[in-house]
Amino acid sequence: MSSTSKKHKDFVAEPMGEKKVMALAGIGDALGRRLEEKGFDKASLVLGQFLVLNRNEKLFRDWLKDTCGANSKQQGDCYGCLKEWCDSFL
Amino acid sequence: MSTLSSKSDQEISVLLDEYGIKHGPVVDSTRSLYEKKILEAMGNKKKAKPSSDKTFYREEEEEVTYVRYRTPVSVLKHDPLHHINPYLRSRSEYSSQDFVDNTRVISWRSGKQSGREHHDTPSTYSTMSYSNATPVKCSVPVPEEKSHRLIPLWVQFLVFLAVAVFLYFVFCNMESTHSEPFKQVK
Repeated sequence: MSSTSKKHKDFVAEPMGEKKVMALAGIGDALGRRLEEKGFDKASLVLGQFLVLNRNEKLFRDWLKDTCGANSKQQGDCYGCLKEWCDSFL
Repeated sequence: MSTLSSKSDQEISVLLDEYGIKHGPVVDSTRSLYEKKILEAMGNKKKAKPSSDKTFYREEEEEVTYVRYRTPVSVLKHDPLHHINPYLRSRSEYSSQDFVDNTRVISWRSGKQSGREHHDTPSTYSTMSYSNATPVKCSVPVPEEKSHRLIPLWVQFLVFLAVAVFLYFVFCNMESTHSEPFKQVK
């Protein structure tokens, strides 16, 4: 990514621990609330979903869209954020 | 197929493989997503079948309309007015040449088309033909053949005549001034 947000940089800089789902790049208050309602109240759970989907971009994007209604940019940001985190820590 | 939700996780996994969908393990959180994917794939498969029939139909249609296109060309050549408008003659020449070129295109296309979608055809026509009328022609039935010109013929005649008359007037006016420089030289 040529331009990554501060949120992205902050997230990928360290292990996510107990960070809330809103800490993910692309996930704001509204999307975060919707994910929490579906049971994904921690970023690690979304990471779990990402891994269960085999880290497949298309699948993850579709899942994110279905679960919280994220648009293409938000999907991309979240995917990129998790991918980079995995590259560094997994 | 009608009740995907009643199938076991393993059956869902098998279905995903059948449709060539890349997937991870089928667990609670991924189940609904995979079910949607399978439904989409089933829908696409149904769509793919009728379109292949369409391409086949299209092949026949193109070849048939092609033969009909011949007749207007021969009519144009016998047109008594065509000597007034040389542009017309060149058009008929173009269209006859078109015909030759397009037969080649058609025979090539019909061979290729069995596996492709029919919307590819118009693009090839536009690259090969000289006039706009030709690609439209081949997909349009016989009764509408007469309306293949963008500008009607009589309008073209009128414009030509108007331009000719205008140039004639200019020429007439020019003639009077011709004599002056002649005098000056003397």
